[in-house]
Amino acid sequence: MKPTPPRWSLRFLRWFCREDYLEEIEGDLVEVFAKQYDDAPHRARWKFALNVTRYFRPGFIKSFKIGHNSNTIAMFRHNLLLTYRSFKRYRTTFFINLVGLSTGLACALFIYLWVNDELNIDKFHKKDRQLFQVMENHQMTGGILTYDGTPDLLARALAEEIPGVAMATAVTPSAWFGKFTLTSAPDRSVKAVGQFADQDFFRMFSYELIQGQANQVLSNKIAIAISEDLALRLFNSTENVVGKTIDWQLLDLSKQAVVSGIFKATPPHSTAQFDLVLSYEAWLSLSKEVGRNIHWDNHGPLTYLLLQEGTDLQQFNAKIEDYIQSRVEGSNITLFATPYSDQYLYGKYENGVQVGGRIAYARLFSIIAVFILIIACINFVNLSTARASRRMKEVGVKKAIGASRKALIFQFMGESIITVFLSLLMSFIIVALLLPQFNFITGKQLALDLDVPLLLSVTGITLVTGLMAGSYPAFYLAGFNPVMVLKGRLKTSLGEVWTRKGLVVFQFALSVILIVAVLVVYQQIAYVQTKNLGYNKDNIIYFDKEGKVAESQETFFTEVKKIPGVTRVSSINENLVGSQSGTYGVDWEGKNPGDDVHFEEVSVNYDMIETLEVEILAGRSFSREFSDEGTKVLFNETAIEVMGLEDPVGKTIRHYSGEMEIIGIVKDFHFESLHENVKPLLFKLKPEETLKIMVRLEAGREREAITSLEKLYKEFNPGLTFNYQFLDTTYQAQYTAEHRVATLSRYFAGLAILISCLGLFGLAAFTAQRRLKEIGIRKVLGASTVAIVRLLSNDFTKMVLAAIVIALPVSYFIVSKWLESFAYRIELQWWFFAAAGLTALFVAWLTVGLQTVKAARANPTECLEDE
Amino acid sequence: MKEPSLGEFEELVLLMVAALHDEAYGVAILEELEEKLNKKVNISAIHVALKRMEDKGFVKSRYGGITADRGGRRKKFYVITAFGKNALDQQYALRTSIYQQIPKISFG
Repeated sequence: MKPTPPRWSLRFLRWFCREDYLEEIEGDLVEVFAKQYDDAPHRARWKFALNVTRYFRPGFIKSFKIGHNSNTIAMFRHNLLLTYRSFKRYRTTFFINLVGLSTGLACALFIYLWVNDELNIDKFHKKDRQLFQVMENHQMTGGILTYDGTPDLLARALAEEIPGVAMATAVTPSAWFGKFTLTSAPDRSVKAVGQFADQDFFRMFSYELIQGQANQVLSNKIAIAISEDLALRLFNSTENVVGKTIDWQLLDLSKQAVVSGIFKATPPHSTAQFDLVLSYEAWLSLSKEVGRNIHWDNHGPLTYLLLQEGTDLQQFNAKIEDYIQSRVEGSNITLFATPYSDQYLYGKYENGVQVGGRIAYARLFSIIAVFILIIACINFVNLSTARASRRMKEVGVKKAIGASRKALIFQFMGESIITVFLSLLMSFIIVALLLPQFNFITGKQLALDLDVPLLLSVTGITLVTGLMAGSYPAFYLAGFNPVMVLKGRLKTSLGEVWTRKGLVVFQFALSVILIVAVLVVYQQIAYVQTKNLGYNKDNIIYFDKEGKVAESQETFFTEVKKIPGVTRVSSINENLVGSQSGTYGVDWEGKNPGDDVHFEEVSVNYDMIETLEVEILAGRSFSREFSDEGTKVLFNETAIEVMGLEDPVGKTIRHYSGEMEIIGIVKDFHFESLHENVKPLLFKLKPEETLKIMVRLEAGREREAITSLEKLYKEFNPGLTFNYQFLDTTYQAQYTAEHRVATLSRYFAGLAILISCLGLFGLAAFTAQRRLKEIGIRKVLGASTVAIVRLLSNDFTKMVLAAIVIALPVSYFIVSKWLESFAYRIELQWWFFAAAGLTALFVAWLTVGLQTVKAARANPTECLEDE
Repeated sequence: MKEPSLGEFEELVLLMVAALHDEAYGVAILEELEEKLNKKVNISAIHVALKRMEDKGFVKSRYGGITADRGGRRKKFYVITAFGKNALDQQYALRTSIYQQIPKISFG
């Protein structure tokens, strides 16, 4: 066999070497190689490769200037050159386009990142398509209410009885409990968020187990699976942790568990966040211990199903719909399953029908992104067409020489796409710089990972933007009649001027709509935060009642009251923000037997109503001066109204726990977010059921009071940390979504206005320049600066006014729709609209004014000297 | 126009091209030179010299026939041009004239 030189080396030579020398060089090299090969084959190969690299020098490398004899490529280079020249020549226009488009693209990128992240929430589970959550529809007198709480035994029953269910688990959401206190050694206890779940939990959901088998970790009653982080906090290691014993404490209950598995921290894309999972058996026995009844009419835990592949959801729902009724005679509850990962975005139900949820915000922002891009594109379109007269000679000459329409369109389109790509580079820099700030506002951990989907979408967005911005100018410029153009007569047709004006109007209309929206969102949020809720949420802190504090509650209260700066203290079963636990089990005289009225039920201690400063309209509050207060009840106004009781104080109702006497009525107060109407509510005195301690502090002395409280708490519960929260912070957390929307929309509206004004600035500069001679003559003839400014800004004023006229009704419609989602909302004031309109007008004047004043103050001799 | 110069290595290669007359191609020149100089010469150095001299007009080239032992590549044969011969002559004359100026003293 003939020796062959190293192939890659030869290929390299052929790639770079000039063709006129390649044959000689290759031939000689091969010949030398063949001779050397006989002596030392290995060395010959090395020498060959080394020799090849020696030719990699200017004299022998072929010219890589692409295809010097290809016409299309020559044209391409020519176009690039022209693009570069036109950028250099019309610098202002170029920068306006660059700034406008790059801010627009940066907004779009931010929004893309955010929306993409939202859409991916809870989608990381490998069996996502088979995972479903069971929901309950409660048929009530006023319509259907949808709840996620289900009977404790539902999951197991469905798994056993309903075909199609591959696995099922009940989960008690971690939000139910305060934090668990875990102790691994006498001096080491930490707090962590936890939940109870059934055996198949880790097989259904893709929370990654580092140690332990997915089908075994929760099979044992005393099993506990902990997160890696928790293992480190408890044991300083994840090695040999399985099998160790942990004491866990929840409120005043204390248990032991054996570590059965360790899982990786729950991913940020998971709505469920927890550090530990306890077995469902532990939950069932715990319920028994605290006297919580487990039966088919008690709804609590969440039920998740893993359906067999290919199960038809509708058919399946038909099978489970009446399941509760088969267990409880005459129940008003029907079941349905819904995809698990949809719950995050489509979690809102009205009258039993899915009506959206967070997806609304994702859609809203996508629309805003498109708007902002459109505004930036309009700038480009307007500036390019307005400046067309500058390039008409170029187009004329090219056409006369024989350039086809297509070639011209290609040229101008290319120009716009290049501009957009340059803007894209800038927008990447902007995004990279501002991402931390954006993450702070949105509360997410977004990163600019340049992965394939992102690059594809970005390229997509860029091309679409480039085409959107470039197509009209391209067709417009390419459509010139060469003869007319070369004669210097460019007739600006009326339609074209109207298009330009129309686009400016559209731009400003969008901006005005955004301003109105921002104003209204802000007002509504301010309203929500300052509205009198019917109780005083300020200066109240609350914390879990646990350990010794729970055991000797009364002593603790007495001590707390002695602390200077504390005005009142009491305990309650939940923190009063959001939906409370509820019951249908209330009967009263004259109740319509068919009616199902759901009462929110709050268990309180003495003094709670006073601590919250809820107003009592009639009767009295719970008091130690009376005996047998456990059988007394207070209702809110709505409850009395629903029951239709006259003179209610002193009357008796039948509560599921027995007869109860109404001792008072409290004024309605907002315990849920203001999206909801106030619901019927009752207070009962059950100190043993209360889980949280609330302390009202004296305004101005909070710091010192909290320090003393902490000290006292530590005396009662050495080793436990004192975790408290302010009630008003918890209250505001209900409006996080609105807050984020408000902040984001404020920024985006600002940017929209900025970009619109940039365009206006460009147009004004251009008009002023084109009318330079006219201005000069007018000034010579005696026109004042003011008159000229007015002359020049008149046009723009009209456009902005038209935009305002169009925008106001549209924005009115949009914001009223949004406000409808609040049960308690602000009235739309005329000044919201006036302010938005005036802002737009004022900003536009300012922009145009800057240009026109400059033009109007120019010395007329300067612009007239060359005539 | 400036007279093209002739470097030392170029001169050697040019001499070899002239000496081999019509049989001078890269590898042949390489081997002859290595033999005369008694040291290793790099093929790329020869190609560079040949290219430069061809650009200057000292040599001209033609392609030979296809043979199998060079990977099917033709040989490129060089011959010296009159201009090249002239340059060699001048160089030679220059050296001789200077050489003759060396005073006849003993170098012993």
